[in-house]
Amino acid sequence: MELLINPLSLTVLLPAIAGLGIFAIPRDSAAALKGYALAASLAVFAVSLRLWTGFDAAAAVMQFGLDKPWLPSYGIHYALGIDGISLLMILLTTFLVPLSVLASFNYIKESQRAYYACLLFLEAGMVGVFAALDLFVFYLFWEAMLIPMYFLIGIWGGPRRVYAALKFFIYTMAGSVLMLAAILWVVAAHHAAAGAWTFSIPALYAGALTEQAQFWLFAAFALAFAVKVPLFPFHTWLPDAHVEAPTAGSVILAGVLLKMGVYGYLRLAVPLFPQAAVTFAPWLAGLGVVGIIYGSLVAWSQRDMKKMVAYSSVAHLGTVMLGAMAFEPAAVSGAVLQMVNHGLSTGALFLLVGVLYERRHTRLIEDYGGLAKVMPGFAAVFMIVTLSSVGLPGLNGFIGEALVLFGSFRVYPWLASAAVAGVILSAVYMLGMYQQVVFGPLRHTENKILKDLDLREWLYLAPLLVFIVLIGVWPNPFLRRVLPAVDNYITLSRQQPAPPPALVKLALDGEEAR
Amino acid sequence: MTFDPVPYAASALAGPLLLTLAAFAVLLLPLFFKTLRGTQGLVSLGAVLVTLVFFRAAPPAQLAFFSGALNLSPLSAYLWAFAMGVLALFIALSLARPAAPAEHEGEYYFLASMATIGLMVMMAAGDLFTAFIALELLSLPVYALAGIRRSKPGLEAAYKYFMLGAFGSGMTVLGIAVLNALYPSLDFVSLKAALPAQPLALAGFLLVISGFAFKTALVPFHMWVPDAYEGAPTQVSAFMGAAVKAGGVVLLWRLFSLFDGGPVREIFWWLTVVTAVFANLAALAQNGLKRLLAYSSIAHAGYIAVAFFGGTRGWEAVLYYLPVYAMATIGAFGVTLILERDEKGPKIDDLAGLGRTRPWLAAAMAAFMFSLAGVPPLAGFFAKFYAFAGAVASGYTSLVVIAVLMSAVSIYYYLRVTVVMYMKVPANGEDHPAGAPGLAEAVVFLMAAGVLLAGLFSRPLLALAAEAARWF
Repeated sequence: MELLINPLSLTVLLPAIAGLGIFAIPRDSAAALKGYALAASLAVFAVSLRLWTGFDAAAAVMQFGLDKPWLPSYGIHYALGIDGISLLMILLTTFLVPLSVLASFNYIKESQRAYYACLLFLEAGMVGVFAALDLFVFYLFWEAMLIPMYFLIGIWGGPRRVYAALKFFIYTMAGSVLMLAAILWVVAAHHAAAGAWTFSIPALYAGALTEQAQFWLFAAFALAFAVKVPLFPFHTWLPDAHVEAPTAGSVILAGVLLKMGVYGYLRLAVPLFPQAAVTFAPWLAGLGVVGIIYGSLVAWSQRDMKKMVAYSSVAHLGTVMLGAMAFEPAAVSGAVLQMVNHGLSTGALFLLVGVLYERRHTRLIEDYGGLAKVMPGFAAVFMIVTLSSVGLPGLNGFIGEALVLFGSFRVYPWLASAAVAGVILSAVYMLGMYQQVVFGPLRHTENKILKDLDLREWLYLAPLLVFIVLIGVWPNPFLRRVLPAVDNYITLSRQQPAPPPALVKLALDGEEAR
Repeated sequence: MTFDPVPYAASALAGPLLLTLAAFAVLLLPLFFKTLRGTQGLVSLGAVLVTLVFFRAAPPAQLAFFSGALNLSPLSAYLWAFAMGVLALFIALSLARPAAPAEHEGEYYFLASMATIGLMVMMAAGDLFTAFIALELLSLPVYALAGIRRSKPGLEAAYKYFMLGAFGSGMTVLGIAVLNALYPSLDFVSLKAALPAQPLALAGFLLVISGFAFKTALVPFHMWVPDAYEGAPTQVSAFMGAAVKAGGVVLLWRLFSLFDGGPVREIFWWLTVVTAVFANLAALAQNGLKRLLAYSSIAHAGYIAVAFFGGTRGWEAVLYYLPVYAMATIGAFGVTLILERDEKGPKIDDLAGLGRTRPWLAAAMAAFMFSLAGVPPLAGFFAKFYAFAGAVASGYTSLVVIAVLMSAVSIYYYLRVTVVMYMKVPANGEDHPAGAPGLAEAVVFLMAAGVLLAGLFSRPLLALAAEAARWF
């Protein structure tokens, strides 16, 4: 029962239960299915609000902890707990899912029951990843989440959906199987040193590992997370998946899934293997900056709006990685805030592209133009979101980017300077797209009859706008909750692991053990 | 020991005895009483269910019977329950879709029961002679079952299976002969005590191991598998995948654990790697569903062999792996059986549109595929996790790295099935008419529930496996 009383655990389990419950509704009663899905996702959001209100911003410990033995022979516990970083990520997830449900009402016409079930299962998986304090539980959610996402892209996606879905699944799975081997290794090493099996993440922090072991283990974890972020050159699955996914799928992919990669670095890769992390950090930050420049340049050359937004994600996540790898309070908290910002603004951009696509069934920039005349409401929303995405002061994007750049400048001056170029580039292509779509003459007759945003569309865009402005002018409530967690992360990244006892000799290879 | 061994032995042995009696009854009685014809399947199923009554919690002790030929312990109880379960599912599938012509029904169930008794003896065998006799008792009926339809694909399957199987048996016998000349006794305990051995003994062991590797389908002893699985009646393929393989696994595991190191382990290491790599790569090229499942079964033999390297944890993992793998495989063959229109079974592409026409069946099939691929939260993931955890803890990280990389490769072919079911339209507009749900569907959905729940709630099954593994 405790599993359902603890609000954190309830946030994880409720979407899964709701996802099963939807099968009680007959498959052809569309209205009931939509209403149920919306109500369920709103209920999850309401539960997750209790995490926000009950969260002690000053405490640096894991909160809402739950620890239930699950598979005792391996020391696996169903252990959950959140700090400020996971809190923001969970709220971002539970906030975006109802909006995605609302945005799918007209777009999804086939097999609606399975569709909403997939969305809810996906939500459970995502929240679980952010809430897990046990490596096994983390890995379980991390992989389990692939199944609903795979179906979302593959069944309800665009014309090349099968290719995109397979690529997404195989890329991310192939990236993470080595992490499984690394997890087993870490746990076995801990068992050899401490004599007990445990998968508890805090217990494994800075274990007694040799430098060489740390190197390989970090590499295995970093690969899994780099695919998810995605860091250049592991990003090639992203444009396909984002473009082919249905609108809600793109929102969740960009809004939440990519954050799981960065979160993995913050929660696992760096604190588990601090020495190796310090060695790798400049390279990862460098790849982040390459991603900023490369993503921006490729986005600039796109004619398809959705592709452009997809590549802009590569650039934005590059900024986040630069901040996360700087191990500097301002930069890291900026990176965390930027994760939220990117979720809000890119989510909104995908929703807006979806709005256009539902009306005209094209996403090419040149098929539009002059929309300001026929869709003034749309143009205004699009403006705010675009400006948030390019980091205009007063909107959310600015705070995050500025913190990351200022903070990382102290650590990586050259990389940070190069990253500034990316910020300028993003203004060029985003504003360029905005201008071509919204301003100018109405070149296409089909566009003259386009309807402006209707009530449902306002309903799912308005909450995003509220937070885009709110974080822009008043970021303190968010930053205040993140800072203790960020300090923790930096402390953990600096700690020297205990020297490995001489007795602990775990062979890296079967050869030696035989 | 406070318990009385006699009633325990009586109840434990009553199961196989009853099964034998029932087997002869279904073979012979219908010859004399015409009214009994057509009831053979039900009688066999009933017999299996009654034998389950004779199963009771095994006392925590090992009892040796027939001068050590049979060892009864919680381990054998676990494996016997597994064998009975597989037989019950096999009979249920055969009742739903008869595999044998009506006049051969009696033989069909007789052979299946005999094979299961062979399997049970093999699992509890205390020495190599018994194991070999049990192996033959298991194999010969299955050769016949593969060809029971006397159709071309069936006969081809039976023939190939028999030729290669006989070759494997020959190697085993030769190996046993060599070992018999060198060692005073061939029971596993004294063999373990008598080691290490001279090169000739090594040759003997390798011969015996290759013989059992045939049954387990480790590469390069797998050649019979794809053709036999494809040509045999689908129910029989399911039985081969779940039961025959399990027998081979248990025996290989006993042989493996005789050695603490040295060349035999080295050879096992290579067998495991070659199996995992080859089977997964070959599976990528398959178009027939039954052939795909055949290669998948070879690949899983490889993963199970990884668990061998994990010491006590590994034994536990193997015991957990066997039922989990069997559930997914029997379920997948069950779906194949429901959809098949000819003996070779459907091509993968024939599943197109299944997600639309028969959503629940497709969902079950997807669960089996994801479980075989080892994606959480399905049971297959937990099985692989346990199998690999032990091997890593014992220092065989490179083996596990190869195995996880190959299981990433396997994602592609398992996903292909789900792609076809959910994301492709049937080429010729053919639909899958939803027949009235029957026994076959019941088996499929039971197995689907199994792979969904046995992972997340793996504690009871794992505890049973751990208890059984202690008696190895």
